[in-house]
Amino acid sequence: MHFRPILSAVALGLGITLSAGAAMAQKAGGTLVYIVQPEPPSLASYLSTSGPIGLVAPKIYEGLLDYDNDLNILPSLAASYEVSEDGKTVTFKLQEGVKWHDGEPFTSADVQFTIMEVLKKVHPRGPNSFREVTSIDTPDALTAVFNLANPAPYMLRAMSGYESPIVPKHLLDGIDVRSADLVNNPVGTGPFKFNEWKKGQYIRLDKNEDYWKEGLPYLDRLVGRFIPDASTRTAAMENGEVMYGAYGAIPNIDAVRLRDTDGFSVTTDGYSMINPVSLIEFDTTEPPFDNPAMRKAISLALDRSFLIENIWFGYGKPATSALSSNFAPTGLYKDPMPNYVANADLDAAKKMLDDAGITAGADGVRAKAVLDLIPYGEDWRRAGEYMKQALAPIGIEVELRYEDVPTWLKRIYHNYDFAMNVNYFYQLSDPVLGVHRHYGTDQIRQGTHFVNSSRYSNPKLDDLLSSGAQEADATKRAEIYGGIQKILADDMPVVNLFEMQFLTVYNDKFQGHDNSALGAYGSFSEAYLTE
Amino acid sequence: MLSFWNRFSRNRSAVLGLGIIALILLMAVIAPLIFPGDPFGLAGKSMSPPGANGFLLGSDSLGRDVAAGIAHGAKTSLLIGLIATLVAVLVGVIMGALAGYYGGIIDDLLMRTTEMFQTIPSFVFAILLVAIMKPSIESVVIAIAVVSWPAVARLVRGEFLSLRNREFVQACHTVGMSDVRIMLGEILPNCLSPIIVIGSLMVATAILIESGLAFLGLGDPNVMSWGFQIGAGRTLLRSAWWVCTFPGIAILLTVLAINLVGEGLNDALNPRLRERAS
Amino acid sequence: MPAFGPVPFWLGDPMNHSTRRLRYVLKRLIQAIPIVIAIVVMNFFLLNLAEGDAVDVLAGEAGSATPEYMAELRAKFGLDQPLPVQLAVYMKNVLTLDLGYSFRHEMPVSELIFDRLFATLLLMVSTISLAVGFGILLGLIAATGLNTWRDTAISIFALITYATPLFWVGLMLIVVFSLGLGWFPTSGMENFAQFYEGWDRVFDIAHHLVLPTITLSLFYLALYTRLMRASMLEQYGQDYVVTARAKGVSERRIVFVHVLRNALLPVVTMAGVQVGALIGGSVIVESVFAWPGLGMLAFEALFARDLNLLLGIFLLSALLVVGVNLVVDIVYSSLDPRIEVS
Repeated sequence: MHFRPILSAVALGLGITLSAGAAMAQKAGGTLVYIVQPEPPSLASYLSTSGPIGLVAPKIYEGLLDYDNDLNILPSLAASYEVSEDGKTVTFKLQEGVKWHDGEPFTSADVQFTIMEVLKKVHPRGPNSFREVTSIDTPDALTAVFNLANPAPYMLRAMSGYESPIVPKHLLDGIDVRSADLVNNPVGTGPFKFNEWKKGQYIRLDKNEDYWKEGLPYLDRLVGRFIPDASTRTAAMENGEVMYGAYGAIPNIDAVRLRDTDGFSVTTDGYSMINPVSLIEFDTTEPPFDNPAMRKAISLALDRSFLIENIWFGYGKPATSALSSNFAPTGLYKDPMPNYVANADLDAAKKMLDDAGITAGADGVRAKAVLDLIPYGEDWRRAGEYMKQALAPIGIEVELRYEDVPTWLKRIYHNYDFAMNVNYFYQLSDPVLGVHRHYGTDQIRQGTHFVNSSRYSNPKLDDLLSSGAQEADATKRAEIYGGIQKILADDMPVVNLFEMQFLTVYNDKFQGHDNSALGAYGSFSEAYLTE
Repeated sequence: MLSFWNRFSRNRSAVLGLGIIALILLMAVIAPLIFPGDPFGLAGKSMSPPGANGFLLGSDSLGRDVAAGIAHGAKTSLLIGLIATLVAVLVGVIMGALAGYYGGIIDDLLMRTTEMFQTIPSFVFAILLVAIMKPSIESVVIAIAVVSWPAVARLVRGEFLSLRNREFVQACHTVGMSDVRIMLGEILPNCLSPIIVIGSLMVATAILIESGLAFLGLGDPNVMSWGFQIGAGRTLLRSAWWVCTFPGIAILLTVLAINLVGEGLNDALNPRLRERAS
Repeated sequence: MPAFGPVPFWLGDPMNHSTRRLRYVLKRLIQAIPIVIAIVVMNFFLLNLAEGDAVDVLAGEAGSATPEYMAELRAKFGLDQPLPVQLAVYMKNVLTLDLGYSFRHEMPVSELIFDRLFATLLLMVSTISLAVGFGILLGLIAATGLNTWRDTAISIFALITYATPLFWVGLMLIVVFSLGLGWFPTSGMENFAQFYEGWDRVFDIAHHLVLPTITLSLFYLALYTRLMRASMLEQYGQDYVVTARAKGVSERRIVFVHVLRNALLPVVTMAGVQVGALIGGSVIVESVFAWPGLGMLAFEALFARDLNLLLGIFLLSALLVVGVNLVVDIVYSSLDPRIEVS
């Protein structure tokens, strides 16, 4: 049996070619205080993809692979990998001399255990990412062979320390993974070791002196601070008390101001594996939104540019399809689709409704509906207030509803007690991981969050989705996704609003954090403080 | 009555407070005339400073008129304050009157209940009630009333306790007046002044609580109020100070005016102070 | 009037002051028990009225979780049991002084609360001290110059500080004193880039405490100022002042020796009542200054449906209020010997 990799033959050297000595001495040392907001529920990134966990855990746990800003695959715990010709076997060669923070050696058994017993079973997205993995062979301590039922090209995009952290078998084997001590006292292989979690204040990580990458990390210590109030976060950044804040920790309006201030920078890099898209979900099973014309009219009546300019202060890009245009480099994103407009087209929206026979009564109202708003911050309330105003002219009278997180989750995903809901979804690094869950019939899963709550069901689309997941040939795959986008633009079960651009604001003294596609969810191993 | 007004009007700051309240009431009433249309309406260029683009007090991030919001919000904020206070006073008077009048086991029971409500951190309790009932004007009013009534109950109980053994009450008993009539007709009118004072101050507190709840994102998203404006404008404080500063000033003036009037009432109704002041 | 009936012989001399006080304390504590139980029961049912539970929140944050997984979690947390059973379990735990377990934090509730208690008490005590101290001073000045410009200026100042929204004051103090003048840090309780130890740490914490204390005490200042003023005026009208005046005692002596002492009583009482309110009232200040107190913990617990934690905080606050009020009453009775502990 011979291997002929179908992806470019990848025998990846260590990513570290930096010369030791003088340059390094300048970079070494110091404490980085950065914003972690809100306070994470735990540090178990293998159980939860909760945002704030991602800001801390990937400094402690590593994945098999890493990704640069152009989404090229880099080595991490795997020094190299090979994919068999039929795409059904993936072999990872692991780094030598890697130790867990407690001193135990890291081996292929950890990889096997992590994927099969942890990620495939308890990780929110793991069962999807690794659904084709039937078994993992460990011929020796440094080799892990993934056996797949079908080719799974997207799997190699889900191997980062954030998405699929490798966890220590010796601390989890044989006990309840979910309630292990590891949940709050993580032990990984990464550049930083967990030191202390002072609830309500900070999480402190200290340098891993035995890190397997020679000479790294540069920083002596990371302190993630919790600061509940957005304006105070900005003030702390301006005052130099914190040096780094990602995922909108600094509100856009302040970020715009800091961008023009000496000593601070703003970047939208570091979110390409996340791909957040804001959208409106509809109850497609009941009037008035069982009628596609209603949904399309709303898409036409909303001024996406206005939302971006006035609420997100210029950061964002009007959506033009069910897929984010960030998928263009992979060929999966098809050209702009009909019924997506950057600036409101009220005439087209009214015509859409008139043609569908949805007419206004004497009061000018064609339909009334409650608009639920995702309870993740003020910006969404502003967006809702704007939509209420914007939909009135086409005869849709909107009442706003803003509830707390548990109430909202129950309403949308459990009770299905809503008409329209403003939300945002991560499309992630591949449509299979982030987009399918929104539209597939098999994704109508009452009680499961962030899946097909619109309850849209189209057998033709389902067929395309499942062939799209397994197609290894890039051209054919692009064709399939072209078809998917066409159907979704015609039916519009979900109206995508805009491709969000999260902002990272940082003090210019803090450098070397922006060389990973994962950005704030990266390891910070090469990050350093100047001065 | 006339002598009360004479005493009250001698207190210049109280009269000033009354004047401010009258102006705010007037603003609330004529808001639809001076700012016709929806105060949530996108009226023009966003984040215009005061005076620019036809916005007297500027506009917010969506281009809504801050002045229109303040005028329309006056009605909501005052109503929230008034209704919440009325409910709180009603509940408090009933509880306090029963406890103070009957004493004994009823007193014990009612006062333990009152204490129970007082030991719960009131602002957290208000947040909890609004979260459970879903943010809306009604739930905000109920929450404020629930955390406000115990103070009234304690006050009224004290008054009833001291009044129930007075000769005039005893006299009522001997002529066979019913308890309800004695409580409502005889004792209550005699302790109205402290109730009026505490009630007037409560209106101010209610307005402050509403703005605090709105700051934490627990306001009604469909109704314009000062609290809503402050909540919506707080992240803009550094870039567009006018968005939440003007509603803040509106709250400040209202609370100030109500308190001045409350103090004026207190001074006018409290005979001992009267003697000394004259 | 004696506070209690005949005292059993084993408690000794019925006139013994300290024995009577002890009995009083015990009685008060016993009276508090039903209140505390009622608080737990009421809040338990109130919180369960809210839509969604801790599992919904955890699953929602996690990104995605199957209904089976969520059911499993509920079983693990005991949330699948009928409410009365859950309540019984909770009450049983409380009786054994166990506040239960926070499923969200994967930590015992008592540990979580204890962690925050220091920060809360620090802010509370410094705020009350500052507000009461300045309130007494301003009230005194206002009362001694009744209806003069001093009086008016002080009451206007107090009212303005009261009526200005707290978060606005807090943010403005940050803008002026942290960003503008650089005198104080913006937020937090300590400098986390340094992790000071020993006395340096004490000074560091004190340094961080200044702005939140000022912000919060400004709100309470008006109350104490007004109370002190009113209380002083009340005392002025008393017979003993009139007598003292007639005897030719100097006005200064009247104010500082007689009136002040008696006027302090209601102020002290109020300070006791305020302690409970402060735990909740500081939510906004804790939020603005990222101060790690119980207010924010309660706030976050509510939205995470972390029931055990929230109930624990309510329980503690109830105990605190009962305890402080008791202490206040005892202080009260020693300030004014005419008042019986009854």
